[in-house]
Amino acid sequence: MLELDDVVLNYRSGKNSFEHGVHHVLNGVSLSLYEGETLGVIGKNGCGKTTILRLMAGIFEPTTGTVRRRANTSAAMLSIGLGFKPQLSGRSNALLAAMLQGSSREQAEAYLEDIKAFSELGDGFEEPVKTYSSGMRARLGFTTALMTHVDILLIDEVLAVGDAQFREKAEAALKERIMGEQTVVFVSHQGPQIQSICDRAIWLDEGKIAAEGEAGAVLEQYTASIKLGSKLPGGAATLIT
Amino acid sequence: MTLSQYYGLIDVQARMALKSDASRYYFGYLWWVLEPLLYVGVFYVVFNVILDSRRSDFLIFLVCGKLPFVWFSKSVSQASSSIIANAGLIGKIDVTKTLWPMAVIHEGLYKQAVVFLLLFCILLFTGYMPTLAWLWLIPIMLINYIMIVACSYVGAVLVCYMRDFTIFISLGMIFLMFTSGIFWDLRALEPAMAEAVLLYNPMALILDSYRQVLMENATPDLMHLAWVGAIFGGLIVIMVKLMRFLSKSLALKALTA
Repeated sequence: MLELDDVVLNYRSGKNSFEHGVHHVLNGVSLSLYEGETLGVIGKNGCGKTTILRLMAGIFEPTTGTVRRRANTSAAMLSIGLGFKPQLSGRSNALLAAMLQGSSREQAEAYLEDIKAFSELGDGFEEPVKTYSSGMRARLGFTTALMTHVDILLIDEVLAVGDAQFREKAEAALKERIMGEQTVVFVSHQGPQIQSICDRAIWLDEGKIAAEGEAGAVLEQYTASIKLGSKLPGGAATLIT
Repeated sequence: MTLSQYYGLIDVQARMALKSDASRYYFGYLWWVLEPLLYVGVFYVVFNVILDSRRSDFLIFLVCGKLPFVWFSKSVSQASSSIIANAGLIGKIDVTKTLWPMAVIHEGLYKQAVVFLLLFCILLFTGYMPTLAWLWLIPIMLINYIMIVACSYVGAVLVCYMRDFTIFISLGMIFLMFTSGIFWDLRALEPAMAEAVLLYNPMALILDSYRQVLMENATPDLMHLAWVGAIFGGLIVIMVKLMRFLSKSLALKALTA
């Protein structure tokens, strides 16, 4: 239901208009996402994982190459409810996130009590998000995205936060969705989560796909490269790809 | 996104912003009235008490110009930074970029409704009774609003590509404040100069129209107003199309620049 074809993404930051001001984030990435599958994307920090999600969500467009999304397919990042208006309450942030994902005001209001209950935030739900701990933010963000409906759910390492008890509950809820019709792209730098959730995985390194295939096999290669990389002098891990 | 969803989102964001603003300040909602009154107070002290304005109706003259002008300047300044201010949400979902300036504009619109009520109260208390001519306020306010939307879109795009524009915009607002005849009377100028100011500064025309209607019970220059409305209305159409075209590029700029 979604295809990336030889996608390149560069951008300039700051006022530097010459080549050294250009950041090369993705460099010729091609992949397909099939309906109902859970695709894992693994890689080090800064390898372009979040950028791939943003391309899939239609937030960015590639510098060259194409992103084809089946018509009328909605996609949103799960971290959408993480509370980007810190002065507003958890309830207001959840309402806004649900409406941004296409719910009407009435539908969004109807989700709110479920979100409050699942997130176990209690009275904290009515407090401004600026007073939240990072764990509370994760609860709010995860629950908000999970309770509202999108065709492609893009998850950006959100499960890494929050306490063990909530993480278990979140993983269980996510698995339930995955078992159903939900198409999911899950990004992480932690192997075990990818292995427990995903059917297929992609290892992204330096803006390119280093390996692709069954989740367990890709993880093995990724883990091997990290172990090898840590024995070599700094930065040498890229030599392996 | 359907039109009703779009307006729902603008409305919800505007209300939330107003609520959280009010909860942050000790005087809360009272600031809606207090702030414009203080603006007027400052100008009154400077231009009537310290410098003699030689007008017995200076207070009314001032409120009729200053209150609509503050609506414009505050809305446009705030809306210009609205895309970069919402980078957090822009990085999570693809939505039309006009949403962010519109939310800020509507926050200002709700406040301005109260400010206009305040203006009417001041007028009534000082003996200016409403007449049928006051109905001209409807098109004048509408054109004032159209100018706010058009300028906010332009400002939001410029600031997103180059943050430096925030400085130009605040400087531009000061220039506009001095040249729009807020504390001086356009009609006291040489006719040729008055005409030139009206021609090149649509804000001066809008403020003069408010005064013509509220203080003189006269019909404003309708032809000129219609032109201003059409030009800024056209600018809105162009900006909406441009912002749709630039949507992804604006997102990349908001998140990376």
